Amino acid sequence: MSEFDQSRIRNFCIIAHIDHGKSTLADRILEKTGAMQLREMTDQVLDSMDLERERGITIKSKAVRMNYTAKDGKTYELNLIDTPGHVDFNYEVSRALAACEGAILVVDASQGIEAQTLANVYLALEHDLEILPVINKIDLPSAQPEVVKQEIEDEIGLDTEGCPLISAKQGIGIEDVLEAVIEKIPAPEDDADGPLQALIFDSYYDNYRGAISSVRLKSGRVKVGDRIRMMAGKCEFEVTEVGAYRPLGYAPKDELRAGEVGYIAASIKDIADVHVGDTITLADNPASEPLPGYKPVLPMVYCGIYPADGADYESLRDALEKLRLNDAALSYEPETSVALGYGFRCGFLGLLHMEIIQQRLEREFDLDLVTTAPSVVYKVNKTDDTQVMIDNPTNLPPVQEIESMEEPFVDASVITPQDYVGAIMELCQDKRGIFRDMKYIEGGRVLLSYDMPLNEVIYDFFDQLKSRTRGYASFDYELKGYVKSDLVKLDMLLNGDQCDALSIIVHRDRAYPRGRSIAEKLKEAIPRQMFEIPIQAAIGGKVIARETVKALRKDVLAKCYGGDISRKKKLLEKQKEGKKRMRQVGTVSVPSEAFMAVLKMD
Amino acid sequence: MKPLAIYIHVPFCARKCAYCDFASFAGREDAWSDYFAALHAEMDAWVDRLRAYEARSVFFGGGTPSLVPAAYIQDALNHLRRLLPLSPDCEITLEANPGTLTAAKLEAYRCAGVNRLSIGVQSFDAALLRELGRIHTPEQAASAVRLASEAGFENLSIDLMYALPGQSMAQWSETLAQAVALPVQHISAYSLIVEPGTEMEQRVERGEAHIPDDDLVNEMQRLAVHRLAEAGFARYEISNFARAGYESRHNLTYWQDGDYLGLGSAAHSLVENERFSNPPELARYLAGERMCERTVRSLRDHREEVLMLSTRTLRGLDMARWRAEFGEEFVQGHARQLRKLENYGLIEIEGDFLRLTPVGLELQDSVVLELMDD
Repeated sequence: MSEFDQSRIRNFCIIAHIDHGKSTLADRILEKTGAMQLREMTDQVLDSMDLERERGITIKSKAVRMNYTAKDGKTYELNLIDTPGHVDFNYEVSRALAACEGAILVVDASQGIEAQTLANVYLALEHDLEILPVINKIDLPSAQPEVVKQEIEDEIGLDTEGCPLISAKQGIGIEDVLEAVIEKIPAPEDDADGPLQALIFDSYYDNYRGAISSVRLKSGRVKVGDRIRMMAGKCEFEVTEVGAYRPLGYAPKDELRAGEVGYIAASIKDIADVHVGDTITLADNPASEPLPGYKPVLPMVYCGIYPADGADYESLRDALEKLRLNDAALSYEPETSVALGYGFRCGFLGLLHMEIIQQRLEREFDLDLVTTAPSVVYKVNKTDDTQVMIDNPTNLPPVQEIESMEEPFVDASVITPQDYVGAIMELCQDKRGIFRDMKYIEGGRVLLSYDMPLNEVIYDFFDQLKSRTRGYASFDYELKGYVKSDLVKLDMLLNGDQCDALSIIVHRDRAYPRGRSIAEKLKEAIPRQMFEIPIQAAIGGKVIARETVKALRKDVLAKCYGGDISRKKKLLEKQKEGKKRMRQVGTVSVPSEAFMAVLKMD
Repeated sequence: MKPLAIYIHVPFCARKCAYCDFASFAGREDAWSDYFAALHAEMDAWVDRLRAYEARSVFFGGGTPSLVPAAYIQDALNHLRRLLPLSPDCEITLEANPGTLTAAKLEAYRCAGVNRLSIGVQSFDAALLRELGRIHTPEQAASAVRLASEAGFENLSIDLMYALPGQSMAQWSETLAQAVALPVQHISAYSLIVEPGTEMEQRVERGEAHIPDDDLVNEMQRLAVHRLAEAGFARYEISNFARAGYESRHNLTYWQDGDYLGLGSAAHSLVENERFSNPPELARYLAGERMCERTVRSLRDHREEVLMLSTRTLRGLDMARWRAEFGEEFVQGHARQLRKLENYGLIEIEGDFLRLTPVGLELQDSVVLELMDD
């Protein structure tokens, strides 16, 4: 493309239910447009984190620019923006969608429409995207493309006339998809001469360029040397590089203009200065309004992360610092625990986010971790009329100083096939949910709305929802506000000594079963020792559940082999190592796994 | 003269037992003669270093020392006498398999100076003996003991094993009853350890052999302590029981941090604070390789070894000796741990001795771990 022409740009994303072939289609599109040679292809090119490939999920959004010469003889610039699919990252998804004009909706030819298909469609419709349905996996013997097309017409109300029937795996129909993108998805119609408004839909840290913003320019233009301003973040920087993303790296350009997707680098040292959702403008010709939709990302879930070996504290701090460079939503602060020693209180967007950070710390930084049970942030109204926010049960003020407590509630929506409505209502009630609304939507689906304590959502709601609906229900939530609640601190005592790292805050009605369940889990996880160990769950001073780890009966080597004491010594050394890896809670040695076992609920 | 215990390894046996992971070889008659020649050569090489010592015990262990012709044992003992003096009351023990003992052999051992036999009875249950891969029956075991007694061996010891696959309390009780009825002064009762690489391990892994759980094993151990005490055998080490005055001097050397010299393949030594061992492979030993893995014992190792070995005995840890050896008051150096262990009834302190209670002995590893330096 020699001259800039917005009509030759298409900005789009791909949305799909999990496993319907989103990443494979992205790979084929890259291949077809020649953006990538076959030999450079690995599966799921856009998912570059090991973890993403392994779990088949996309965690951070990415964008890639391709050139495609269509049947009309013209060459188009295609920007494919990859989006994460999980509710933890919903905010990032919605920012990514805001950068597009259209979305390819991939539907599996034998599975048909599923819960996430609908959830994704609604999200795309919210952003006024043109939706382009594509039926995938038509090569499978069980494929029923005509039935699925009808389903899409009936249940979503999309026109499937001429909808591409493809097999991304076999490379069938990819050109049809590209032609449909050109034909159906509108070109941007942004004003290149207005003041700069660039939406940040992703950010990450590059060792050479500093914090980089992935942007969609909605208005104006930006070039190297421009002084830019973050409209919400308030800070200003000088642009050092602008450009587009190519599948294998950066392609610097002189200038980015309205309608384009690309990146802006400005030697920004701290990723925290680049907020996803913020609008970048020019300092000397600022836009009067930022683009809509920005909200600061606040951690919703906290947990303590400790090195299994206390000597790794510094390494853990360095690792968190590095991860934070690419993940502004991660927060951490040093904390100490009597049982676990020195570690960090970390804040996350949700449970998946927490799990991913933990796994990245363990894999990419080779750290052994001990994590405590996740907690939400509670509001404590004290008797002296002050208020404190508590993200760690250990810090809860003494009972006599607490006037009342509040816990965060969320607006939870579940979209489910009708058959599972009963099961879901039961689950939501179990989780102290308050019923708000039930709406029938097309195709035998139901949208259930509940007010729900976040505390219960982060416990095992996802797992329960999945197992009770065989994965057919989709779930989303948004923080609603704080609600007064009868909360108590549940403590665990080992041989009479309280273990701070095992304390949790729960609703009084849930305290008994939770206490019993944790005591049972600890009983399994704590090895027999020289003496009997009572495990007690207690509220205040009152014991509500009790288990016992029986005393060790036998721990002795029957025979010392003549003068060869080496094996006996090796055995003892091994036991000593094992003991070193245990945490001392009063008189009791507790293996790291025990702290984790408590997190796993049945 | 400084006291020394001599261990002589005889790495041959008629058949490998299912649980055995020692350096022993079945069916290597061809190597016997070369082996004992090599053993004599090894002794000769020690002449200069042993001038200040006298042997207070000699122990022929295996393998099965009673498998080879008694002349080898006679020659080895005679050769040893040329190396260093044996004290007048020297305890000279030979390990014997009941399936290999004859009146003639017993007579030859006596002539050679052997004054104590340690007979591997293991069990008086025929099925369990088969399970262990032993070459003898219960009847053969009992008659071997009587034969030895009749041959004039007054200091007899037998080995028994419990925690055997499928073994019941009743079976163990029966074995104990038969054992104490024999003319023996010393009984070792070991719980089976399933060692890696043994046939037994494979059998357990394949689910063909079921080892009793720890609770049952512990009951068996308690039964042994009780029944043997009733019959006049006092426990003097975790797995060893003797009538008064018949404690094994040789084994006490190991537990009380005495010097010992191991001769023959796979034999381990501790001489003047230095540990070393011979290669376990016959070929390497025959080729003249000696004293592998020589290490001068560090202070830390020394402390740990004294702790872990002395607490196996009912006499316990000699804290006066600890003070002399390490310049530390044991009680002060371990005050916190000792208080904890005492509270749990695992140890008792009497004068200069720290000893484990019966329950403490059942958990000796844990107790030692608690007292070990970080």
